[in-house]
Amino acid sequence: MTELKTPNAPQWWKKPDVKKTAILWVICTAVIGYIGVEFHVRNIVSPASENMSNIISLIRIFTWAASPVAGLVTAICITVLTSKRHYGDNPPPEADHEIRNSPRATALWLSISGLLCLFALIGGLIVLEQESEGVLDTSAIQVNVTGQQWLWNFDYENGARSEDLYLPVNKPVVFHITSVDVKHSFWVVQMGIKMDANPGYTTETAVTPDKIGVFDVRCAELCGLLHAYMQTKVHVVSQADYDAWLIDHAAIEKGA
Amino acid sequence: MTTVMNETVAAPGKSIIEKLNVFTALALGVLSAIVVWRLSLAFLPEDSEVRLFTREDKITLLSMCAWFVGFMTGIGALVGPFRWLMGKDLSHDENMFLAGKDMGPKRYLRYTTDHKVVGIQYLFITILIFFLGGGLAMLIRTNLGTPEGGWLHAQAYNSIVGTHGILMIVGTIIMVTGPFGNFIMPIMIGARDMAFPRLNALSFWLIVAAAVPLLWGQFLGGITTGWSAYNPLASQAPLGMDGYIMYICIFAISTMVAGANITTTVVKMRAKGMTWNRTPIFIYGTVASVALALPAFPVFFLSQVLSAFDRALDTSFYNTAGGGSGWLYENLFWLMGHPEVYVILIPSIAALMEMAPVFTRRPLFSFNVAVMGIAGISGLSVLVWAHHMYISGWAPLLNAPFMLTTELISIPTGMLFLVLVGTLWRGRLWMTVPLMSIFALLWNFMIGGVTGIYLSDVPADAFLHGSMYVTAHFHYTLMGAGLTGALAALVYWFPKMTGRMFDKTLSWVAFWLVQIGFNIAFVGMFMVGLAGQPRRVESYAPTFNTANMVTTGGAYMIMAGMLVLLYGVISSARSGVKAPMNPWQAKTLEWTVAYPIPLENFDVLPTVSSDPYGYGKAQS
Repeated sequence: MTELKTPNAPQWWKKPDVKKTAILWVICTAVIGYIGVEFHVRNIVSPASENMSNIISLIRIFTWAASPVAGLVTAICITVLTSKRHYGDNPPPEADHEIRNSPRATALWLSISGLLCLFALIGGLIVLEQESEGVLDTSAIQVNVTGQQWLWNFDYENGARSEDLYLPVNKPVVFHITSVDVKHSFWVVQMGIKMDANPGYTTETAVTPDKIGVFDVRCAELCGLLHAYMQTKVHVVSQADYDAWLIDHAAIEKGA
Repeated sequence: MTTVMNETVAAPGKSIIEKLNVFTALALGVLSAIVVWRLSLAFLPEDSEVRLFTREDKITLLSMCAWFVGFMTGIGALVGPFRWLMGKDLSHDENMFLAGKDMGPKRYLRYTTDHKVVGIQYLFITILIFFLGGGLAMLIRTNLGTPEGGWLHAQAYNSIVGTHGILMIVGTIIMVTGPFGNFIMPIMIGARDMAFPRLNALSFWLIVAAAVPLLWGQFLGGITTGWSAYNPLASQAPLGMDGYIMYICIFAISTMVAGANITTTVVKMRAKGMTWNRTPIFIYGTVASVALALPAFPVFFLSQVLSAFDRALDTSFYNTAGGGSGWLYENLFWLMGHPEVYVILIPSIAALMEMAPVFTRRPLFSFNVAVMGIAGISGLSVLVWAHHMYISGWAPLLNAPFMLTTELISIPTGMLFLVLVGTLWRGRLWMTVPLMSIFALLWNFMIGGVTGIYLSDVPADAFLHGSMYVTAHFHYTLMGAGLTGALAALVYWFPKMTGRMFDKTLSWVAFWLVQIGFNIAFVGMFMVGLAGQPRRVESYAPTFNTANMVTTGGAYMIMAGMLVLLYGVISSARSGVKAPMNPWQAKTLEWTVAYPIPLENFDVLPTVSSDPYGYGKAQS
């Protein structure tokens, strides 16, 4: 900070490179935030549950929260790259200062990164808290999910069993997940839930589908030869259709 | 020391040491493996119906152990310890021979203790590993270039994914601390050699010994489990899994030996006057990396030993039906696995922090913050492993604390960003590949870091975990940031290691091809991850077509850049422009010795009176 002591030197925020960086910072933050959010929102699957909608808003918020930092780094890089470049086999003259640190910049940087970290943590914890309560819901539909190489089996409360998952819309459902051979991972893609199927243990996850349609279930843990093909569909239907389907399938199971 | 060097070499054939080289090692290794294989085939009892592969596993593991012992004996690793058992030691002449006193090309094929020889050996094997691992990556991307029409058999595909993973992990772990940590680091701190030269040679030849079981395993069904080799999948995998287990065990020993050696060297052998605040930041990075490996790799070793027991002796460490748990394996694996990414990353970033003042002609910004950042990352990195297990169901109540530690690590990581951008600020940019690599690292690591925030968030991870998004994220950190730093280090220290400058044009062409190709490839991979494509699949739904083709195109561009770089290494080393002693006008000690660097580096050990970052107005 030696240059600050020189009486005629402009104050630090009036220096041309600082001004340039400040303007670039605003532009870069906006551009990075916008592109970052759009990149994720346009490419991510369209949500079929509140969990997935929450994930998309979390990504949106985190992207905007991170963009000032990314924007600052980018702005500084652009400012630096557009001034004082030197080509050749011999080094350029040495810089006109010997700044070795700046407690002010360090303190500012640390407190901002600390605050952002806290922000991300709190945002995550709030959503996490809401979602972990779901598995305790005893009034929800209970479905047992069993993974095996390389397909999924779904067992319903009335004894019905299927390889495609059927769920009623807007009713909470709790999955009890296990595996008969190796570790699989039960991923209902558009509902934003995923839980490993471990042999010998039962794990739980919960979701409330909020859209009628056909969605994807994929295995998300390498489970051997045909891991890529270990996928099935989840049919989210109206309560009436679901009830009818359930009775039909329970009858088929008993008849078989 | 110079008088010693002028003595005549002892007559050849006098000592066992002089007869051993990589060829005797290969011969003895193969011979021992065949003998033990025949013996165990003849004498091991048949299985009693318990498990299908148990006997074959025992035979494979025993033969691989025999290879290992035979190879290490044949290379001469056991001559010293054997002499100690006899109450003797190597003679002075033998020690000088081991150090590579004759300076001939054959010392690169022997158990040579000179740290500069070991550094070049490490560089050679790192390039070889990247060549193999990169070739496999191209097979993966070619297979994924067309949906449904994967031309590789599913088992071959899975094995290629696993082998690519473990080769690249090993390659990136040794890419900075191996070549540059061994060749450059002792000179940089003003030492004549490493603290334990024989252990140095040992750590290198262990990596060579480890490579063979891995390749061997490719012919026994391959590594079909991915590099993480989760149990119980690994216990039902083909015999190639035993190759993986042996590879990891031997490599873990190598890493521990190298870690102890480098740490001791830096703590005990720095030049007179080189206090901790005058020690170059690259040294901090190297020490942090290998010191992190010291607690991490014994755990990895242990996890694979238990895996071998489960396979060959029918124990149940990871088998739920027998009272074990796959979660035990996951914990052990990630206890290594997360410190390990920083083992890879820290020395690369530290190398770039070392280069930043040189190529901006100003002091390193905030040396103390850099040291605090490295220390902070190292400390926190051993407390974050379970973020790989958020959705494993192992301990849902621990998700919140692990989310906390994981997000905290962004603070020391941010410190390293601050040091780099702070050093660039108001510097005089000397436009070279090492300088541009700093910008490339900032860009790639920023993307890798921000996507890491989404992944560290438990609810978002429930969607992203196990998808291509994760694959893209860790390639951005380990390749986009880590490998970029290592390639910059190669160009930067090339003159000191070979006496010639790295060809400028080739280095620029390679740099832009790799960086642009990289960003195309992995942005495409983020897209398919968000659209819901899982990792490690050999075919995918047609909706993922376009982005996968983009990724494959980018991957080919990376390959083109890497081949240009490889050509640059070979042609520059053979016929590049002769380098002056200090081509970058840098102030660290390695630039004060001329090429070829004498056997013990310095005639007179240097004395240090300031840190190496005294650039700027006051000095000129």
